Amino acid sequence: MKGRWVVVGISAAALIPVLALLLLVLWMGFWQNGPGEPIVYTLNHYRNIFTDSFTYKTFLNTVGFAATAVLISLLFAVPTAWLVERTDLPGKNFVFMLVTLGALLPTFFTAMGWVFLLHPRIGIVNRFVVDVFGLQQAPFNIASIIGMGWVEGLGLSSIAFIMVVATYRTMDPSLEEAARVHGLGIFRTLRYVTLPLTFPGIIAASIYVFTIALSAFEAPAIIGMSNKIFTFATFIFYKIQPLEELPSYGVAGAVSTVLIILALLLSWSYFGVLRFSHRYAVVTGKAYRPRLIELGPKGWIFAWSFLGFYVLVAKLLPFLLLIWAALLRYFQPPSWAALGQVSLNNFYGLPWKLLLQGAWNTLILMLAVPTLTLLICLAISWTVLRSGLRWRLLFDAVAFLPHAVPHLILAIATMFATLFLLHNALSLYGSLTILIFVYTVSRISFATRIINNSLAQIHPELEEAAFVGGLKLLQVMRKILVPLLKPALVYAWIWMALLCYRELTMASVLVTGQNNVTLPMVVWGLWLGGSLNQAAAANLVVLAFMLPAVLLYFIFGRRSRVTEAV
Amino acid sequence: MISISGLCKNFRTGDHTVAALQAIDLEVGRGEFFVLLGPSGSGKTTLLRSVAGLEKPDEGEISLNDKTVFSRSRRVCAAPEEREIGMVFQSYAIWPHLTVAENIGLVLTHGRSRMSKKSAVERIRRSLELVQLENFEDRPARLLSGGQQQRVALARALAVNPALLLMDEPLSNLDARLREEVRGNIKKLATQLGITVLYVTHDQVEAMVLADRIAVMAQGKILQIGNPFELYRSPANALVAEFFGSMNWIPGKMLDANHVKTECGVLCVADSRSCDGAVIVGIRPEDVRLGRSSNDEENRIEGNVVRSTFLGDQVVTEVTINQQTLIAKTPPDDGKPEGNTSVHLPKSKLVVFPDLSERLSH
Repeated sequence: MKGRWVVVGISAAALIPVLALLLLVLWMGFWQNGPGEPIVYTLNHYRNIFTDSFTYKTFLNTVGFAATAVLISLLFAVPTAWLVERTDLPGKNFVFMLVTLGALLPTFFTAMGWVFLLHPRIGIVNRFVVDVFGLQQAPFNIASIIGMGWVEGLGLSSIAFIMVVATYRTMDPSLEEAARVHGLGIFRTLRYVTLPLTFPGIIAASIYVFTIALSAFEAPAIIGMSNKIFTFATFIFYKIQPLEELPSYGVAGAVSTVLIILALLLSWSYFGVLRFSHRYAVVTGKAYRPRLIELGPKGWIFAWSFLGFYVLVAKLLPFLLLIWAALLRYFQPPSWAALGQVSLNNFYGLPWKLLLQGAWNTLILMLAVPTLTLLICLAISWTVLRSGLRWRLLFDAVAFLPHAVPHLILAIATMFATLFLLHNALSLYGSLTILIFVYTVSRISFATRIINNSLAQIHPELEEAAFVGGLKLLQVMRKILVPLLKPALVYAWIWMALLCYRELTMASVLVTGQNNVTLPMVVWGLWLGGSLNQAAAANLVVLAFMLPAVLLYFIFGRRSRVTEAV
Repeated sequence: MISISGLCKNFRTGDHTVAALQAIDLEVGRGEFFVLLGPSGSGKTTLLRSVAGLEKPDEGEISLNDKTVFSRSRRVCAAPEEREIGMVFQSYAIWPHLTVAENIGLVLTHGRSRMSKKSAVERIRRSLELVQLENFEDRPARLLSGGQQQRVALARALAVNPALLLMDEPLSNLDARLREEVRGNIKKLATQLGITVLYVTHDQVEAMVLADRIAVMAQGKILQIGNPFELYRSPANALVAEFFGSMNWIPGKMLDANHVKTECGVLCVADSRSCDGAVIVGIRPEDVRLGRSSNDEENRIEGNVVRSTFLGDQVVTEVTINQQTLIAKTPPDDGKPEGNTSVHLPKSKLVVFPDLSERLSH
């Protein structure tokens, strides 16, 4: 069958760059000198990073940061998931929607808000406490490992929530009911049945969140870098875009390799735990929802206070602070005097030409990347599930790599390739095409997993009937598979478009000028340049641009599919 | 033991409301094995879950052991853990993170009785003995087969010494051979322990084997309550009659209290139950007599054999009388009838119901 080889060919062509990028990082770590000079290989970078005390400090920073983020995210996600899935709390559908959509709020956005709140010098909470209690020193410091972990954890709590909700949903509700009817009360049921059964799922979510936090870039970049507090991600970034010295790709390559190995080990243990937790999942044919636990008015007040606090710190407070900052020339705590200085000058003063160019580029990315990714991943999913090819599981494994490998590293490898290897053949460096390429590569795992889940539920005989009827493979895909997969495809498309919109990590490495600037990069540029209040204003403008896309999500993205995303 | 009155429950799915229970009244006596029988969607499981406290009805009252556990008007709704019940779930609901002994032990040490771990050991052993699972104590529950899980679920439900045992289609996930065996064991245990059982199933054979009394349910209503014989021989309506085995239906018109004009001539019926106008006359295939074996001349018609199949334990014959087709099941030794034959429909075996389909079409 000719069509079959076309499909397999497309998936192979898409996956080869993934492997190539990884090998490139590995190779980079052994380069003695900068690119352009004759290559001399060395082990010095590895020797240095394992003997340098700074590396250890960065390592401890990173682990502390990621662990804080995991704790914070679970602290909010687990009770919220329980309230939404198992109680009669009024308005819980609204909570579900709010928290799920919260996954789309860029971390650089909330990070900036928290700087205005808790920065030792300008943070309004600190200023207030110092004034009231007459302290010598600011009590809170957002520019610390705990502070950054707090911000990252708030951002990741949405993903943790989605995963824990999925654990509750795959659990047979009659397991809890059996405890209730045989005399165990609400709390004993929670303690002896619900928690032990969801524990593997919670552990899996922790590992997942930890893996993301380990290479998270935005919070450490916005808060930490200017205060010389580095995690692995910002350390690597600093090595390739230093302020004073020359870029040292060798060190970046070596540290990246270490980070990749760590991430792969974590992903491996994640799947181990996940398999363990799936042992507990029972799929019953019954449509009965579990009896919801009646909290009563007192419980509602308690639950809503908790949820209110969560929404306040995770979304509302940073948002309000950005609005306040955007209206002021210099940041200061709210007061009558400050109120007099409120103006829209920051908005007038924004680099509008750059913003519009950024909006245009972002729009192209939002249209091109999801479409391209879906086409590729349809081919990969078909290869994995339907081709019967002996190597199909290898395709599955490689398609998973972009999830495990930090996106920052994918971007660095891409930059390295365009700057020093392909520059004679193709001038891609600094182009929008290169962003489309690396965004697409980074989303392959996400889209493959969603399509795999849906394709596995479609009976192969539906396709076989079409083959027997004389249709060719590509026709079968167009006429049978795509229509059947449509809900999943639409959902994945919208979600990926929104992720493209908020993407800063990869752009920070590959955006070089007006040519391929994106909206988050405009904000980032203003922030790095020290115009904090203008950055806040730009952030609000960027968020306003996002609203139509979120509206699309409301109309087409189905609630039930969210749990497949992770 | 169980007393239910005026129980209503509606489910709202999106825009429309489904009435799962419509004014259910039910009395179950102490020590009775009571089966709720009905097709899926008939409300039988909702009724069972309401008794367990897993579903909150909209209207009505439930009392267990003379204690009101639910009353809409008095605003009483006891939590499941406050009702003295044991329950076997359709999925068995065996906790996969515990061993067999821990599954039973948890409800003994942390359930209503709160007994010490020490005294629980003996109870666990005894309840496992009841279901013939001795020496399975330390087996992780998730390594059990379906049949074993079912037995652990039963042992767990019995361990708490419940006055009332609830069972929600406990046999539907077992294969046919095992089902028959377990069915026998459940009946034996219930008799031996003398407990009251409320049992949900959609399988009428299961219901007839197990039940002292059966309530047949459809669309949220109880159609008829009675012992298996009553339900089989004097069904309250056509739906109940069809639920228990097959039926020949002959449409006709009432002439007077004892005569129905049909395609098979005028049939003499014993009890027309105050029907008039369009009716249907029903007779079970095993009650249709073929040939001149009896001297009774009432309801004797000439028919034409279309097809006759020998099945070993019986002969199934398809006979037409004018436009009407009847199925007859006769003993194997009567031989295979052919050609024209005499058909006898014994008056005492005929049931008459109003013809609802006729009424609807007018």
